Order: sequence, then structure tokens, then C-alpha cells
Amino acid sequence: MKPQTVLERAENRFGWQLVAPSLGVIGLLILYPILYNVYLSFFDVQLVGDNVFVGLENYQRLLTDSAFYDSLTTTAIYLLGTVAGTTLLGLGAALLLNQDFPGRNVVRGLILLPYFAPVISVVFGWQFIFDPVNGVYNYMVVEVFNLTDERMNVIRDPDLGVIVVIVFDIWKHFPIAYLLILSKLQSINTDLYEAAAIDGHGPWGRFWHVTLPELYFVLGTIVILRFIWNLNKFEEVFLLAPNVQTLPIFTYYTAFTGVIDQGLAASVSVIQFVLLCGLIWFYVKKVLKW
Amino acid sequence: MASVTLENVIKRYGDLQAVHGVDLEIRDGEFMVLVGPSGCGKSTTLRMIAGLEAISEGTCRIGDRVVNDVPPQRRNIAMVFQNYALYPHKSVRENIVFGLKRAKTEPAEIHKRLAEAARMLRLEPYLDRKPAALSGGQRQRVAMGRAIVRDADVFLFDEPLSNLDAKLRHDMRTEIRRIHKNYGTTSIYVTHDQVEAMTLADRVVVMRDGWIEQVGRPMDIYLHPANLFTATFIGAPSMNILDGTLDADGVHLGSHTLPVPPAKQAVAAAALEAGGGRARPIKIGIRPDFFEDCAFATMGPNSVRLDGLRVEIVEPLGFDREITFHIGESSAMARLDLRSDIAEDSTIDLCVDLERVHFFDPDSGKNLELVA
Ligand SMILES: Nc1ncnc2c1ncn2[C@@H]1O[C@H](COP(=O)(O)OP(=O)(O)OP(=O)(O)O)[C@@H](O)[C@H]1O
Ligand SMILES: [Mg+2]
Repeated sequence: MKPQTVLERAENRFGWQLVAPSLGVIGLLILYPILYNVYLSFFDVQLVGDNVFVGLENYQRLLTDSAFYDSLTTTAIYLLGTVAGTTLLGLGAALLLNQDFPGRNVVRGLILLPYFAPVISVVFGWQFIFDPVNGVYNYMVVEVFNLTDERMNVIRDPDLGVIVVIVFDIWKHFPIAYLLILSKLQSINTDLYEAAAIDGHGPWGRFWHVTLPELYFVLGTIVILRFIWNLNKFEEVFLLAPNVQTLPIFTYYTAFTGVIDQGLAASVSVIQFVLLCGLIWFYVKKVLKW
Repeated sequence: MASVTLENVIKRYGDLQAVHGVDLEIRDGEFMVLVGPSGCGKSTTLRMIAGLEAISEGTCRIGDRVVNDVPPQRRNIAMVFQNYALYPHKSVRENIVFGLKRAKTEPAEIHKRLAEAARMLRLEPYLDRKPAALSGGQRQRVAMGRAIVRDADVFLFDEPLSNLDAKLRHDMRTEIRRIHKNYGTTSIYVTHDQVEAMTLADRVVVMRDGWIEQVGRPMDIYLHPANLFTATFIGAPSMNILDGTLDADGVHLGSHTLPVPPAKQAVAAAALEAGGGRARPIKIGIRPDFFEDCAFATMGPNSVRLDGLRVEIVEPLGFDREITFHIGESSAMARLDLRSDIAEDSTIDLCVDLERVHFFDPDSGKNLELVA
């Protein structure tokens, strides 16, 4: 810590005073459930009667449960697919719509639609597309292009379902990436492109040496935001393809269906939370270099 | 290195024509300055040479190659931008060698040229900094370094000094002059500052509203401006333009009469004849620097005296003093030196060499000496 002047110290104090109330509220609203969750994860939770302290038993059971590992794998695939997909598609769309062409403003508006649309209604639309009997997907694959003979229930299949869920998420959420990237693109000084052209670089070199470095931070932010959102994402996955068990859905099934084991579910949450914190810490330190 | 040739180059932005057909040859190794007031099309012309702006009509050649359809990255030029355009994410060193790396220059050669440029521009202490951590003058030098390390055929400068303070601007001017002496690369330099134009240029192009007004060596333009526009644009303080009348006796300026010098008599006679011999109005141009206090003047064969001029304002500038006085209906300025210790509201006798007096046609604005 550098020695501070009176003014700097006063400013610091003022800053703390400003954030103190919100820190207090956030602390209560967020910290309490988290701590309670951690607490629960050490118990065999009874719906009626007293909880029984079981120490690390919940964790032991989890770490030997192959369903948990399957869920981890699914989550990893889901995260990789959606984070990469939304970022790349958003980048592509932003680059394209940063060019001048007739009708650009209309397209710029339309592209945001999936992001505005309510999850519940678009989910049903998507389910209809993949419907084994009436859906467009099976019609195209089987009748039009004859890729296979048999109609499949893609959404209900846990392995194929994850792909549908990924595509759905990319479709629904790339507009936010697009929006953030486009606004940054528009603020890049055109002088830099001209300087790079003069220095001998064609379009690709200019993208690599001017655009990408300027976008680095915004891309990094998109990746981490999408990561956090999707690691915790429940409703889209659950509504669209309930057989795709990412961690939140696995937790839900454990906590509220079948044997109803809330202690075990709590320990999944704790692991998920620790995972998230670790990844964010690593990312912020190493990639964003805050 | 190479020459640059523009033939009837026109630039249109939609319906607006910004450059109206520029014909210009910049010779191999020449330092050419484009000068003119804001919006006259200097940058547009330069950017067409760079390839950053498409040429609407006409041809642009670098060396023998027509470059109209060659993108900037293949024109082998280097450019210094007004706002420097340094890559913010690269260090000073990386900024400077960026173009060299692109050209696949040998690492040893890159190192050598970087060292040389850094020494010449006194950038050695800053090589590892990012541009954001530099002062304006330092950024300017980095931008300059990025250009000079390149083996470019042509250097282009778009008002590179306009963001610097007066002293730094002066230093950098000297620096640019030195660089040009060392490298001898064909250079095209845009500025609206006529002092930069005078001091840097081998030749100057004076532009106005998308037209070329005059091309010539700085001193030729200073001494023989082609028209009223260049006469007043080049030279500081700017040339006095006074309203007079021309008739068979000479040029009348208030109560004073200036004889027409021998060199201009033919033109004057022709001008009078065109008007059927009647007296006609004429614009008289005299630079403030060419007035002399008669008390100290050495009279030549063509010198004339303007006696009893009323001094309105005296502005001492150290060695020089600028005085504003009345002559005829107009007021004019003279730059004398500290020997002429005169008071405001007194009178003074000024002498001027007729060879240094210009007569302009009031309608066309043309300098009558050059019409002949
Ligand atoms: N992209 C453009 N679209 C339309 N008009 C333009 C464009 N760029 C320049 N112009 C016009 O062309 C004319 C010449 O502009 P230019 O930038 O060459 O002026 P300049 O001589 O460099 O002036 P300054 O000293 O202010 O830089 C101006 O009238 C300007 O408004
Ligand atoms: Mg300009």
C-alpha cells in the first residue's frame, strides 16, 4: 500500500460510506443462503424432524456417484459450447453489422429479437421444431435429405439433447455478445486501421493487430459473464430438455424428486459454488489481469 | 524512393466535389508541402496518394506505377498522422518496428534501424512504455519513428505538428528537416501553417477550395505571389492590400502617387488599354516587411517615399516593432526595427522599393506582373 494523502484517505472513506448500505443488504441476501447451504451440506436433511449431522458423508457419496460425474461432464460440454458459441457468433454478427450496407439498421434491430423473447414461449417453439412426429427437424433430416431412416426424439436423448440446448442458448444469447462487441467496435479509432494499412497489413492483419487487441477486454468480459450465467442456468435447460442434467438440474432432481436428499443437493451446490469461485478467480487474475 | 505524379485528380463525396482536378509532380527526393486554409482539400489529396481515399477521377502514380487501384498496404508508403494513431496496446518499440516486421525484415536489420531511429528521435528511454504513458511531443516522435524506420518510397505527413506547443513545434520542424536531409525520401507534408510551409519545403503547393492556387519554391511564392490569395496567405504578418487607381501617370494611393516600375509598364499599359484608357481601380500589395523608415533607408533606383503617414498603433516586439498607419482610405501595417522609436498619433515617412510592390487585378485577383 502506497502512503496516502489526507485527500486520498478522505476519498476512500467516502467510497466506503457509499457502498456500506448495499454491502449490508447484499451480505444478508446472499451470504446467509450461501452459509446456510454450506451448513446443510454437512447434514442428512429430514423433511420432518431434526437434521442429523453426517460430517463429510454427503461429499463422499457424491464423489463416488457416477451420475454426479456425468453431470459434471454435461456441464463442461454445455459451458464450452455455449460460451464459445455465443462469443464467436456475437463477434461475427458485430463485425458484419459494423460494415455499411443498405438496411443495416433494420438488421441491427432484428438481431436482438431472440434476446427479448420470453423463454417460456420460445422453448415451446423449439420443442415443436424437434418434435419426433410433426417437427420440422425430423422432416428435413428424414424426408428431405434422407440422412437417416429413423425419426429421433432428439430433445429427450440426454446426449443429443445437450446439443439442442447449446444451440438454443447460442441463438438466444448471442445478441448480448453482439451488442457489447458492436459498441466497442464503433469506438475504435479509424486512424488505427489506416495506420495498420500503411504499415502493410491487409484486412486480416488489421483485424488481428487492431480489432482483436481492442476487443480483448470486452471479449473477456463476455466470456466470464456467460460462464457465470450458464453455470447457474436452470430454466432454459430444464424447460427445453429435462433429460440434460447440468449441475443445477442434477441438484434439483436430487433435492426435490425421488429420494429427496437435500443434504446431498446442498453439497452439489457447494461444489458448484467453489468451482465457480475458483474459475472466476483464475480468469480475473490471469486473463483479464485486473 | 520515387516520384509522385497526380494527373487531373478529382475527389467527389457524393455531390460535393472536394478536389477539383489536381495536376502535380513531386520529384524524387523532393520535400513538397501542401498548404492552405482549413477545408481546402489538402488532407483529401494526401489521403488519395496514400490510398486511404478512393480517387474519383484522374491518375495517381508513384514512380512509374499507376496506384489508383492499389490498396495502401501495397503502395510502400509511410505516413505520420495528425493524431499520431499509435497502437495503444503495443509498446513504443513494437509500434516503431511494426511495419518492418510485416515486411519480414531481418531481425538484425530491424534492431539496427530501431536503434538508429530511437537515437535520432531521443526515444531510447521510452522504448518499453505504452503510448498512453507518453507526452504529446514524445508520441509525435514515435509516430515519426514508425515512418522513418521503414524503407518507404514516400513519406506522407498530415499536419503532424498541429497538436504541439510553439516551442516543440519549432524543434520538431528542425528534426523533420534533419531527417529529410539524412534519408532524402520523397516527402509530402500537409499543413495549414505557412511558417511550416516556408521553412520545410523544397516546393510549396498553395491550395484553396479544392484548387491549386500556386506551386513554387517558398521564396518564389513569397516574393512573387500569383494572386491575392497566395499573397495574403503566405508571409506573416500578412501582405497589406490597398485600394488604388491606375491611370497614365501611375498608381494613386490616397494623396500619394507611385510610378509604375519599368518591369511592369507593359502590363499596366495593356490593362489601361483594355479599359479604353480610363483610370481603373487596382489592388496594391505591399508586405509589412518591405516598408522602411526613410530615416534609415538606403534609397535604390526604384525606391519611393510615402511622406507624412499618420501612425495609429505601435506594437514593440523586441527587435521588431509593428506599426499600423493610415494611407489613403485604408490602414496598413509596417514592420520596422527598434531604431524607429516613434509615438502613436505622430507621423512617419516610409520608403518602399517599387520592385517589391505588387499590383493585382481587382476582379480576377491575378498579380499583374505574372499576367504578362
Ligand atoms: N468523408 C467525407 N465526406 C464528405 N465530405 C468530406 C469528407 N471528407 C472531407 N470532406 C470535405 O472535403 C473538403 C476537404 O477536406 P480536407 O479534409 O481535405 O480539408 P483539409 O484541407 O485537410 O482541412 P484541414 O486543414 O481542416 O484538415 C472539406 O470541405 C470537407 O468537408
Ligand atoms: Mg486535414
